[in-house]
Amino acid sequence: MSKTSQISNNEKFNVSLVFFIITTCQVGVGIHGFQRLITQQAKQDAWISVILSFLFAHIAVFFMVKTLQLYQTKDLYEIHEDLYGKYVGTLFNFLYIFYYAFAFFVVLRNYIEVIVTWVFPGLSQGFIGITILLTVIYAFTGGFRVLVGIAFFSFFSIIWIPFLLWFPLEFAHYNHLSPVLATDLASIVKGAYTMTFTIVGFEILYFIYPFIKERKKAEKFAHLGLLATLLLYLFIMLVSIVYFSEKQLERTIWATLTLFSVVRLPFIERVEIITICIWLVILLPNLCFFMWAAYRGASRIIKIKPRAFLSIFFVIMYVGILLVQSRYQINHMNNFFSQWAFIIVFIYPFLLYIFAKTKKSIKNRVKNH
Amino acid sequence: MNRKKVFILLLSVTLFLFGCAQTRILERISLVTLVGYDQDQEDNVKATAVIRQINPNYESSIETQSETEHTSKGARTKLDMRTAKQLMIGQLRVVLFGEELAKSGLDEAIHTLMMNSEISTSTYLAVVEGETKPMIEYKYETITDIGQYLYNLLKHNIEQQQSISSTLHEVVRDKYSPYREFAMPLLKKEGEHIQINGVAFFNNGKMVGRLPADDIYYVVLLSDSFKHGTLELEIPSDNIVSKSKQSGNLQIAVDSIETDRRFDLVSVKPAQFDISINMKCRLLEIDSNVPIGNHQVIKKVEKAMSKKMEEEINRIFKYSQQVNSDIFGFGEVYKSHLSESELKNVKWNELYPDIKAKIQVNVDIIRNGTFE
Repeated sequence: MSKTSQISNNEKFNVSLVFFIITTCQVGVGIHGFQRLITQQAKQDAWISVILSFLFAHIAVFFMVKTLQLYQTKDLYEIHEDLYGKYVGTLFNFLYIFYYAFAFFVVLRNYIEVIVTWVFPGLSQGFIGITILLTVIYAFTGGFRVLVGIAFFSFFSIIWIPFLLWFPLEFAHYNHLSPVLATDLASIVKGAYTMTFTIVGFEILYFIYPFIKERKKAEKFAHLGLLATLLLYLFIMLVSIVYFSEKQLERTIWATLTLFSVVRLPFIERVEIITICIWLVILLPNLCFFMWAAYRGASRIIKIKPRAFLSIFFVIMYVGILLVQSRYQINHMNNFFSQWAFIIVFIYPFLLYIFAKTKKSIKNRVKNH
Repeated sequence: MNRKKVFILLLSVTLFLFGCAQTRILERISLVTLVGYDQDQEDNVKATAVIRQINPNYESSIETQSETEHTSKGARTKLDMRTAKQLMIGQLRVVLFGEELAKSGLDEAIHTLMMNSEISTSTYLAVVEGETKPMIEYKYETITDIGQYLYNLLKHNIEQQQSISSTLHEVVRDKYSPYREFAMPLLKKEGEHIQINGVAFFNNGKMVGRLPADDIYYVVLLSDSFKHGTLELEIPSDNIVSKSKQSGNLQIAVDSIETDRRFDLVSVKPAQFDISINMKCRLLEIDSNVPIGNHQVIKKVEKAMSKKMEEEINRIFKYSQQVNSDIFGFGEVYKSHLSESELKNVKWNELYPDIKAKIQVNVDIIRNGTFE
């Protein structure tokens, strides 16, 4: 296929930055309250579910990289067209564009909900939405390398979280953790499944891969990125288990923020308020990369200029914010999203790899004859 | 280029407008620092709030207001109608409950506190003997801001482990756990002062019992790993001072340096625990006739102290069983040894009154003063 878009050298970025992109695309809004959903399934063994879910993530990344290595300079959209032909490929691409737009919306809407609940109960959701959207669009217009830079800096607004979590440990009851492995395996796996919402984001690898300078090393950094997120999530989960009682955790909607709310520094009495505001920086890579991935897909299907795409995207998101108003709708949306994300992030890469591999080997055999 | 400029302008305008979104200027709001809830007629709750207002001259004035309503939010709205500035509850430090309300159940009140994101989970909760209203509204000679006063009173006593800790978080944690109950400090107005007068025991959100201030030491000792705190004991003097002129009891005061508390489940059916407490302490006060330089004598003192403490702890443990309030966390230890399926039919508050415990205290006096 000659349609592969050429990526000039100055658009490419250093391979070690993959680490930052993976981590910052994973850490988003799920981290605010993932403990609750997992504890409902896996009880005190919820932390095992976290590890298990990352095990699956590592496997998924393994297959992703394997698939990408078959094609080298192509991203997923191009692979789809190559594999399934123009029409079916476009259909798959369309699903991915929709997935990323949806992911963008989920992050945005959940964050607005947090702001409205914790910081500004009276503020209009549309107004917050416009502010965030404008910020994201501004970052987006800077080009791809700017997005990579944002991911890099955003990483440093994540790493303070573990330090802040030392404070709640003062109230820790470590016997909440035992008995270890008392819940049955099915519940732990179910818990790992509910992690989907929190863990997704690393599938961005499918799209940034052609932009990496030394692709051979990319796999290593992608796995390292996952590992960093695992450590963060695992620590938060463990602190939550020892800090909350089980039934309390099941009722706490944003457990991470509630953990922060016990921290009282001499100069900041309510740390969680500051945290929520800083969270915008943490979310920015999420939003930017999701939007960027959606744009990449859209521009392949139809020749669309960035500006036109952004305008349409903006309007859709804004209308979405106005439509989804209640907590019930948000929960419903999150559930739907995580079911879908599970298929796209954990199951599909495996199938895609098998399909791509078989097709390649058949092609080779035909050539050899 | 021009388009970009317009865009940046638009962005900065929205960003700056965000600052006007919802302002809470200190001089224009009044801060609620303390709320007391009392039981009123029927199902109504009477709320009394201490409101602190800050004026531009950096002098803050304190006023108290009281209102009756079905819900605490309703009471707050009514209070709002009586204050010149908007009420803000984010600085709430202490929440008090009247004894009668505590006895009829605090479920709803605690749930409301927890639902509100404005309220910090490190807010202290306490029960007041009698009603909260007269305690809050009384004009004390020495106390200017009762909200701040009570906060400091609770804070320093909890930090020094002279009172049981009862932040909103801890209360909610234990309230929703089926294996643990919570306790709160009991406050009392004594003339011109307010003092911590004991511990209130809860079962299922209702206050079921209390122990006097003298027993707080043992309650804290048993419910938490104890770090520092002073203990006064009375031990029989017979064996210690052989040529003692006065017979009877010996007063002794020690200061804990390091205490290790362990609950071990020795048998599941019937539930039986080993409580072992190892305390390293410093001798603060003892009768001058006791030769504390003598190693044998110290050993005897340690032994007598251990025995006395075992008796006291046993008494407190029995009391908590009697009122069926497991504030010490035996249930959690029990739960942590059993699997999910084994726990299915376990109702801890039915089991708790019948559990057995063997108490063993080990006192180690590792230091005494500068003069023998």
